[in-house]
Amino acid sequence: MIEVVNLSKNFKRVTAVEQVNLYIEPGEIVGLLGPNGAGKSTTIAMLSTLISPTDGDVLLNHKSILKNPSELRGVLGVVPQEIALYEDLTAKENLQFFGSIQKMPKQLLAERIDIVLEQIGLQDEPKKLVKHYSGGMKRRLNIGVAMLHEPKYLIMDEPTVGIDPQSRNHILKTVKTLNENSNMAIIYTSHYMEEVEFLCNRIYIMDKGKIIASGTKEEIKAVLSSENTVHVKLEFHSKSFINDLMDQPMLSNINAKEAEITFTVAKGMDFLPMLLSLCEKNNVILKSFQVEEPTLEDVFLHLTGRALRN
Amino acid sequence: MFIALIKKQIKLLLRSPSEILTLFVMPIVLILILSYALGPLMEGDSEMTIIELAIIHHEDEEEQIQGFIDALPPNVVLDQKTSGNIENSLPVSMLVKELENNNEMKELIHVTQLDAKSLAEVKKSGDYDVVLEIPSNFTKEYLDAKFFDQEKPAFNVYLNESEQITSTIVKEIIDYFQQQYTLQSELSESGVIIDHTALSSQKIHSTIRSVDSLEEVPSSVYYTFSMTVMFMLFIAGTLASQSFIEKNTHIFDRILLARIHSSTYLLSIIVSSILFSLLQVFVLFTFSYFVFNISFANWELFLLLSILFSIVIGAIAALLSSINYRSNSAGASNLFSTAIVAILAFFGGSYFNISSLSPFIVNVGMLTPNGAALDGYLKIAQNGSLNDLLPNITVLSSLAFLLMLIAFLLFPKRGGIV
Repeated sequence: MIEVVNLSKNFKRVTAVEQVNLYIEPGEIVGLLGPNGAGKSTTIAMLSTLISPTDGDVLLNHKSILKNPSELRGVLGVVPQEIALYEDLTAKENLQFFGSIQKMPKQLLAERIDIVLEQIGLQDEPKKLVKHYSGGMKRRLNIGVAMLHEPKYLIMDEPTVGIDPQSRNHILKTVKTLNENSNMAIIYTSHYMEEVEFLCNRIYIMDKGKIIASGTKEEIKAVLSSENTVHVKLEFHSKSFINDLMDQPMLSNINAKEAEITFTVAKGMDFLPMLLSLCEKNNVILKSFQVEEPTLEDVFLHLTGRALRN
Repeated sequence: MFIALIKKQIKLLLRSPSEILTLFVMPIVLILILSYALGPLMEGDSEMTIIELAIIHHEDEEEQIQGFIDALPPNVVLDQKTSGNIENSLPVSMLVKELENNNEMKELIHVTQLDAKSLAEVKKSGDYDVVLEIPSNFTKEYLDAKFFDQEKPAFNVYLNESEQITSTIVKEIIDYFQQQYTLQSELSESGVIIDHTALSSQKIHSTIRSVDSLEEVPSSVYYTFSMTVMFMLFIAGTLASQSFIEKNTHIFDRILLARIHSSTYLLSIIVSSILFSLLQVFVLFTFSYFVFNISFANWELFLLLSILFSIVIGAIAALLSSINYRSNSAGASNLFSTAIVAILAFFGGSYFNISSLSPFIVNVGMLTPNGAALDGYLKIAQNGSLNDLLPNITVLSSLAFLLMLIAFLLFPKRGGIV
């Protein structure tokens, strides 16, 4: 088990991470969710022994690894947010290089390269220079390199940033399969709520360097268990309508994006007459509305007052 | 594992056309251009090196000797050997003989002996770079001074100052001549009359020969060396920039996570730089061997110097990498490649031979890695020995040690850019 205890990091006068506590057990997928600048990457860098914390500790099987990070590094695979690959080498050469520096025996390395290339769907183009790959292919190889030596813990820092939906789906399925087939524990950071919801058993929500909520998906959503989320679509955007909505005491967490509005309302509350009357008052045509159970996005909005991807 | 780091570095560099162009093609082009464009100037294929020297005689030297012998007191009898020594030690004859019999001097100085009537015309014409006027009774007075302690006679030298370089050369020759002349006089004053002739120009001449014994270096050889040492410096900048990309893209993090110590990584940069430098030396010298027929008598010294300089290149690459990593930018390696190499190349003599400049610049040049290496290569080309190379070896070894020490101290032990 990896544990992070009261971890803090200050850069000059800026506190990037403050008193963070989290843990990951073998075989589980843990999500670290938060907007850009929440401190996720700094936490990951400290967790993977690449930067020293200002305060706190990182434990592997209850033993501090800060002074001797080698033991943790031996069981860790890290997928950085950046494409950490040599663009002028082929996919196979990249895998060969990173496998060699992991001191993998030649025979095993050759076998693992074939397996990994298949897992990441690059088995047909292993001898193409990385610079000629698409963004999605590079992302997949970025993951392949980290899982080549079969680490017990895989840390993935926003591995789907900036790629097409098809590659994204492929990556998510690969991660899920990896976890199920090899029992690899995964820490998955993202600001895409749906990815974390799809993959993770437990979730930590970070904002402004702090963990603001943690638990299973159900536990976190229970924060809003007494409320429903309502999605409203209008014919066109109306500022006066939104202002009127905000004045309604029965509504909360109101978030408007052009003609689409989301708010939460207490379960059992009859909000429809109020909604129709406000439409009439503001000459707004209501196209549709949908009542849903709260999502993690709603929880984040509830906890921080901000949307995740603002 | 270490070999994987080196192999990767070699693959990356060889797959970069712009680096290949900078490190291998550009120096070859420059060696060709500079050898042919500046070669004749360097090798002195110009008229300025032929010096016209006129010696104006107001006397007949033989008559003067005879006059001296006739005037000797009756109790002084000269044997045949002493008479012969007197004739051989006369300063004017010595100078003329030296200039006419010495093959190197003959190529440099053309001597014309004229009588006194021509003096005014010769001085006016400007056809001569130097005019040496031997006054009447010079020989007799010289012998009187030598044997009877009388006042030493003087002669006149007129230099054509508009010919700066030739005048300087002749001044040197005249100085040498005067030195000989004074030395002989002093010896005679000490009573070593017979022996002074043994102090012939031969002995001093041999010393001068030893100074000149280093062979001339053709421009093609000079520019092969100077361009090689200059372009080897670019390897340091290139590898340091490449290593910063590894940090910037978090590849360095992956290397650390593979439990490779940061010092091992830095060492791989040094070793890669050394291998590339040696490869560059091999390519450029092979080119010059086939095109200019350059070769060395002492390959061991050539190899020793090449390895030493390559180690310095490795040390520079390590230092630049360390500074880049510390400052979190590729500024150090970029500044090195765009400006510092040019400055080092100037002081190191890569653009032209700086020995004609002030001794201060020459000394500064010797302290630059490329300057010390270039000077060393030139010594090897001139058949210099290991002893001749000791100053160069000392400078290069010291630089390698110092730069590496700083690089290892500066290099961060962890990664991570957040």
